[in-house]
Parts: sequence; C-alpha cells; structure tokens
Amino acid sequence: MRSSIGRIALFTVIGAFILVPLAQTIITSFVSTLPRAGIAEGHFSLVNYQNILHSAALKDSIVNSIIYVVLNVALCLGVGLPAAYAFARYSFAGDRQLFFLLLVFRITPTVVLSLPIFVLFAQIGLANTPVGIALVHCVFNIPISIWILEGFISAVPREFDETAFLDGHSLPSFFFRHLIPAIAPGIGVAAFFCFIFSWVEVVLARILTTTGGKPITMAINALFGFRTDFGLVMAMTVLAVVPGIAMIYFVRNHLAKGFVIRT
Amino acid sequence: MKLYDNRAWFLVLPALVIVTFVGILPLIAVTNYSFQDLFSLNNPYWVGVDWYRNIISSERFYASLGRSFLFSAIVLSIQLPLGIWIALLLQRSNQFIVSTVLVLITVPLVVPWNMIPVIWLNFINPNAGLAGKMLAWLGIGFDYKFNALHTWIVLVVMDTWHWLGLVVVLAYAGISSIPTAYYQAAAIDAASQWQVFRFIQLPKMKTVLSMAVLLRFMDSFMIYIEAFRINAGGPDSATAFLSLDLGEEILSFNYGPSAARSIVYFLIVLTVAWTFKAATSARAPVAMEPAK
Repeated sequence: MRSSIGRIALFTVIGAFILVPLAQTIITSFVSTLPRAGIAEGHFSLVNYQNILHSAALKDSIVNSIIYVVLNVALCLGVGLPAAYAFARYSFAGDRQLFFLLLVFRITPTVVLSLPIFVLFAQIGLANTPVGIALVHCVFNIPISIWILEGFISAVPREFDETAFLDGHSLPSFFFRHLIPAIAPGIGVAAFFCFIFSWVEVVLARILTTTGGKPITMAINALFGFRTDFGLVMAMTVLAVVPGIAMIYFVRNHLAKGFVIRT
Repeated sequence: MKLYDNRAWFLVLPALVIVTFVGILPLIAVTNYSFQDLFSLNNPYWVGVDWYRNIISSERFYASLGRSFLFSAIVLSIQLPLGIWIALLLQRSNQFIVSTVLVLITVPLVVPWNMIPVIWLNFINPNAGLAGKMLAWLGIGFDYKFNALHTWIVLVVMDTWHWLGLVVVLAYAGISSIPTAYYQAAAIDAASQWQVFRFIQLPKMKTVLSMAVLLRFMDSFMIYIEAFRINAGGPDSATAFLSLDLGEEILSFNYGPSAARSIVYFLIVLTVAWTFKAATSARAPVAMEPAK
C-alpha cells in the first residue's frame, strides 16, 4: 500500500514536470501579447487563433506539414514493410552489412547531410516542396520503420506464411490479406515513430524550404522579428502539437503492450 | 532458422533505392566537396586535405568535441536510469495509469524541435515565466545568459523534458514483452526484486535499451537547434557543441570547410555505431545466462 502511494506521487511529479512548461505555452496562446485596439494587453483573448485563421501563410504551412508527414509515413511503411519482411524471414548476401548501413543512416546527424541534399534537391526541382521534405526524412525514418516492423513480423510464426502460400496466395496478396492484419499494432507503432521523427525535424526542413513550401515549424520561425507576437507564436506551437497528441492517443495501448527491436 | 535466399534483395530494393538517393549520394557529394575550395559550386579548386588539417589542428574543435561528449554523458546518466525506473514502476501499475503516464510523457516528443527552446525560454523568463518567477521568489539568482553552469542546467533539464518519454516507451516495451512464466519461475526460486531486475528484466530489455542508448547518445551528441536557441553557444563558448560550428559554416556558405567538418562528424558517428554494435553482439550470450 505504501509503495503504491509513493508510485502515484512520483507519477504526479513527473506529470507536473512535463505539463507545467506546456501549460504556460497554452496560457500564453490565449493572451493578447501586443497592444491592439479593443483588447487590453495581457488579457484573455482568442485573437491569436483568429489571426492564424486570417493568415494565408500560416494556414498553408499547416497544410504543407500535413502533406509531407502523411507522404513520409506512407513511403516509409510502403518500402519498410517488404524490407522488414525480408530481414525477418530470410538471410541473404550482405544482410548484416545492410542492416548496419541503415543503423548508421538513422543516427547520422541531419546537419551533416543538409548541404549536399540542398544542392541535389535544388537541381532536380524538389526544393521548396512538401514532397522534397517527405523524401528526405526517409533517410532516418526508413530504418526506424524497418526495425520496428521486423520485430513484429519475427513474432509471427513462419507457419503462418507457409499456410497462406499453400492456399495459393501470392506474396502481395499474402501481405495485404494476412500479414498486415496480423501485425496491425506494429504498423501503428511504426507509423507513430515515423510521424514523431518527421513532424519535429527542422534542420532539413529549413534548408529545403527557403522560399516556399514552408511547414509549420518554419512558419513559426518566420514569426520572430523586431516585435515578435509571442501569443501568436505560442498559438501556432499549440496547433503544431495537437496532431501529435492525437497520434499518441491512438497508439497508447499498442505502446503499452510492448514490442521487440533487433539490433 | 532463416532461409537463405538472395531473392530477398528484391524486397529490400525499394528501401535501398530511397536511402541511396537521400543518404548515400549526398554523402558521396559531401566527400567530394570536402577536398575542394568552392567559392561557388561551378568553380571548384582542389585543395586536398587542407580543410581536414585545419579542423584537426584547431583547439576549438577538440574543445567542442569534449563538451559534446560531456553533455551526452550527463544526459544519458540521468535519462537512462530514470527512464528504466519509471518503466519498472509502470509495470506494477494498472492499465489506466500506464496509458495516462505514457501519453503524458511522450507529449514533448511531438513538439517541433525549434519550439522546445522557445517554450523553455518562456518558462524560465524571470519576468513572465512560471519557473523564472518561482526562482526569483526563492531568492535564487538564476542567470542562464551569463552563468555557464546555469546554461548547462537549463540544457540538461530541457533535454530530459524532451526525451525522457522515448526512453520510458522503449524500456517499458522491453519489460512488457517478458512472458509471465519468467516471473513465476523467479517467484518459485524466491528471487529478490533486485535479482528479478538484474537477471530477468535487464537482460530481456537489452535490445530495446541498446536502441535507446544509441538514439539518445547520437541525438544529444549532435544537439543543435535547442542548444543554439537557448544561448547561442555562450556564455563564452561554454555550451558551444560540435554541431554549432557546422551549422554556422553552412549558414555562411563555406561549402568546402563545412563539407570536411561533415565528413569528420560522419566518421565519429560511424565509429560510435561500429563500437556499439561490436559491444552489444559480443555480450549477447553472456547476459542471458544468470550468474551463480
């Protein structure tokens, strides 16, 4: 009994540590921080959120962010699933080296690759578009999706595949009819990790969107200036966090069930 | 046993094509730049290893390298035990508490990286911030701008706030995938809580934890946006980490020197990844076997 009270107390402390800095952000987002006609500075107001609705640049940035993150997650799962299946079920020439290569690219700092990626993408017309960001974030997200999916696929017994093949399923039809439903939680967890790492990345997103196609993160950067409207900045931050919290909420039970990652 | 079949390459091919395009090709290009003086990209001038010589002979480089290692060491030694401890406590809690804590603790992970320092600067602002006012009220002269120790404290606390969730999620995933039979066997042997942790939970968590260590090490070692926004490497370069120099050089379009610096950092990453892999695969069979 005593230990469970201690545990709850600790969780409360941690919850407070996480929430208090965020709470201040949320409060500031509902306060008018610049002198305006009709609203006293420092008082409660919805003016920041109204300003977002009235700004085409800010609304576009939200759309851009959603486009690139959805594309990125789809790409990473689409190419990650067959690759994870290959790693889970087969050994082949160079498989360990390839796995190591993926590991290296996952942990390579994005700032190292940013200069050549900028030059390369500018030449082929992928700079300043959400598609470019979606593609470039694959460098660290494909390894993540392969790792996570590989763990889930390995947990499915091989007989499961063999039965399906005996029933006359081709590989693609086995993937869609049997494998994907069987590892649905794994796909959710992999999508969650791809989402969080892509949504928050700023180094590559910044260098690729100097003139257009800015995601939310860069639109917020552009708000800083001589007289920064902190209320507006905080309102955009709150909006930037909402889709992430929705993602967390959807996968919370899968995160709690546990998964295995191979290294 | 896995089947040996080289046709599996067809399955990894799409992933490999994309990684080649956004990872390997840029890496080759940056290697090429690093040996040249590029006033503009159309006028390359071969300079050989000059940029590399400049980097490895500069004291500034070793000083930043040391600071980056120190930061990673501090961050790991706080976040790893804390994350494992929280995960262990979660394992003994009911489903509702687990979900609530996991949802709460992962929220900072979805905050865009450039906003994390803004949130914290707002929070510790002595005039408007909750923490800033609190510290002032307690009479603590907290000055993150001019006191190096205070800047470090802000960075470490902020990084822990940001990343603790990842360690907890991974550690908890590792713990909850342990079959109950292991605990029953431990209970029959009257194993103490410490023994259960040392000989069942820790070995079983090894793979996910090594993942957590690697991700946390590299991300903290190359911390950039967060550290830059807090104090721009100051006071007096006390928080000038490795990636800050690289970021500055890229922003001022020094292609050659920044490319050489990128390659040096990539080699550090490669060494770390390789050492890490060698260390974890060598220990694997031993860790599973309970000591007598």
